[in-house]
Amino acid sequence: MSEYAVSMEHITKTFPGVKALDDVQLHVKPGEVMALLGENGAGKSTLMKILSGVYTRDSGTVKIFDQEVGDLNTKQAQDLGVAIIHQELNMCQHLTVYENMFLGRELTKNGRLDIKEMCRQATDQLSKLGITDLDPRTTVGDLTVGRQQMVEISKALLINAKILVMDEPSSSLSNAEITEMFRIVRTLREQGTAIVYISHRLQELHHIVDRVTIMRDGQYITEGNFEDFTMDQIIANMVGRSITNQFPRDLVEKGEKVFEVKNLNAGRMVRNVSFEAYAGEVLGFSGLVGAGRTETMRAIFGADPKEGGEIILDGKSLVINSPEDAIRQGIVLAPEDRKKEGLCTRLSIRDNIALPNLDLICGKPFGTINKKVENEMIEKGRSSLTIKMASPENEAASLSGGNQQKVVVAKWLARDSRVVIFDEPTRGIDVAAKVEIYEIINDLKKRGIAVIIVSSEMPEVMGISDRIIVMCNGKITGEVDPRDTTEEEIMTYATQFGDNAV
Amino acid sequence: MKKYASVVTAYVGVAILLIVFTIMNPNFIRTRNLYPLVRSICPYLLVGIGQGIVCITGNIDLSIGSVLGMSAMISATLICNGVHPLLAILIDLVACLAVGLVNGVLVGKFKLPPFIGTLGTMTICRGLAELVNGNYNTGDIGSGKAQTLFRDIFYYKRVIGPFYWSVIIIVLIIWFCFNYLMNFTRTGRHIYAIGSNVDAARLSGVNVFKTTATAYMISSFCSFTAGLITMAAAGMGSMQAGLSYEMYGVAAAVIGGISTLGGSGYLIGTIAGASVWAILQNGLTMAGVPVALRNIIIGIIVVVCVLLDIVRRSGFKVGGKKKAA
Repeated sequence: MSEYAVSMEHITKTFPGVKALDDVQLHVKPGEVMALLGENGAGKSTLMKILSGVYTRDSGTVKIFDQEVGDLNTKQAQDLGVAIIHQELNMCQHLTVYENMFLGRELTKNGRLDIKEMCRQATDQLSKLGITDLDPRTTVGDLTVGRQQMVEISKALLINAKILVMDEPSSSLSNAEITEMFRIVRTLREQGTAIVYISHRLQELHHIVDRVTIMRDGQYITEGNFEDFTMDQIIANMVGRSITNQFPRDLVEKGEKVFEVKNLNAGRMVRNVSFEAYAGEVLGFSGLVGAGRTETMRAIFGADPKEGGEIILDGKSLVINSPEDAIRQGIVLAPEDRKKEGLCTRLSIRDNIALPNLDLICGKPFGTINKKVENEMIEKGRSSLTIKMASPENEAASLSGGNQQKVVVAKWLARDSRVVIFDEPTRGIDVAAKVEIYEIINDLKKRGIAVIIVSSEMPEVMGISDRIIVMCNGKITGEVDPRDTTEEEIMTYATQFGDNAV
Repeated sequence: MKKYASVVTAYVGVAILLIVFTIMNPNFIRTRNLYPLVRSICPYLLVGIGQGIVCITGNIDLSIGSVLGMSAMISATLICNGVHPLLAILIDLVACLAVGLVNGVLVGKFKLPPFIGTLGTMTICRGLAELVNGNYNTGDIGSGKAQTLFRDIFYYKRVIGPFYWSVIIIVLIIWFCFNYLMNFTRTGRHIYAIGSNVDAARLSGVNVFKTTATAYMISSFCSFTAGLITMAAAGMGSMQAGLSYEMYGVAAAVIGGISTLGGSGYLIGTIAGASVWAILQNGLTMAGVPVALRNIIIGIIVVVCVLLDIVRRSGFKVGGKKKAA
């Protein structure tokens, strides 16, 4: 009889072109909180998706309560007692608490819904977690995010979850809510539930965590009792990889100040952000996923509304209420998600590259498109980025990911912009395409343009930037010179959430 | 020419219908029948252009039929009350464009679902059409010099030979202008872009409100013109004019290869789409099919047309597994 609730050994998983998991192991005992730690892309989520039956493993063994299991689907995993609480909650906002908790497994009596019994069981389950002031007939959408998470946990327990995976559960909660969530996690631990806790908020861990497993680049690094590690050791284990210089950083004389942002505020994720950018400089923005970097850029670009703050370009204060304003005044943004925000995938490559530049292409009268100017622009984009395409008339959707990303970049090269912002410019594309995009970034830098790059890939941001600003939780927490910093230093700034839990 | 496949299909459909109806009743293809048939395409084509452009932005305009009726009633009422037809048309035009602007504000600015927003204006405009002449149809617009000229231009004029050219020429000019707008100008590109991916378009500097409003105002302009034609043909304003025309517009656009999901399709297809609709109406009547049966057949043909198009586009995998994003 093994003592483990979950025992995963030698797990390997390959996606096309990427080895996501390589010989990974994880052991969790009942009544134990195991923190699963690692950088973005270390493979934590992939491992948990294998446990919960979303992905199937290539090789390795999974034992749940000593019982070896084969390839699971999500339903089978649920029946074995595995439940995942995602960062993004999966609740039907318009239904009530009990309706959500019994969704798909509604109790009936004589063919009618047995609302009374469902409410009774829901109240029962909630009170087991110490929540007594929540009416199961409340609409879920009216609850705070923290309360919704409690409902989701209760729902999981109602299906008899014995293994609970919590993926970044504290990221969207207020401090009071985090405190309550921790209390519930402790209650569950006492009741013998095995908990896998994924979080980037290292400072909080000591409240609840018993053991840690650390992963890096799809590999298992180490595990042990939480008390046996110092915070520095944990960070070192998370990031400790050698960096080879795959990033062609050209040195350019740093020019004058081009761009300045003062006290920018926009929602919860952009709090009092101020920074400067110089001509001939690549300014990197580092931080964990959800640190507020994308939100900051979107607010600068006018894609999201601002609450306050000043944006100064070449000494002049700008009014930017829409991306249209920003583009006209010389600030452009190549957004993060190319399919959702970067491209009109059903339009042709030609239309996509021309779209933001129609003011340059179209003549008078009636804004007629000048085909000659347009063709030159397309040809320039195609040759400077070597976009592989049969014809510019083809749908953008027909291109590979790397080539799509090149089109997103090419859109912005035709203009004489002063500030070019790249948000995760190389996500999900191959190395060769990455290098081409780095060369474009260097080229812009040489032309005296202020380049801002947001990247979650630590080696990338350290390799390509001349200066790095680190954000955490909507605030700038540090600024470093990539030539004399370490990943550990950046990670320390990136996890400065502070310990606000009580 | 793969991207014009839907358009080609629509024209092939027109040809097949012409052949089938000629076989069913040889009188169908005679000029005596063809002239009114071609003329009857005009209002369908106009609403097809309007609805087509709104569909390309990814929205829908349910107010088309009501604006058509409103246009007919406003112009007829004004003319009957002694206003010069030219002035009446101008006042009418302003009223109709205002409706388009309201639609644009509701959908483009306040982000109302287009189905709901234009359902509201649809009801309001039908009410206005009833209100302008105190809930009565107007009488005859009269036969003064200006009135006769108006009717000649919008319906009766025989400039060359026995053919009613003028109205057809008006509609073709309108089609040509908007086709040019859609294919060769900045505004056209913006219309396709917001229909394909509104977020990407906005981040590329497209003014989504302005573009949406433009599309709705074009649609209202088309309904306005169709209203004038309907009024000129009847010689009076009818409160029921244009009933269901927004749906005829959808049919003409969709048969012509414009996707209601937005971002794709060409106005060249709307000519075939409107023709299919008019030919079915005319041909089935000529073939002696009873009215009720006629509607059923037309409905089935429209659904099959669109279904075929979806099947072809998704590579014959309707209801199959969606590709993971």
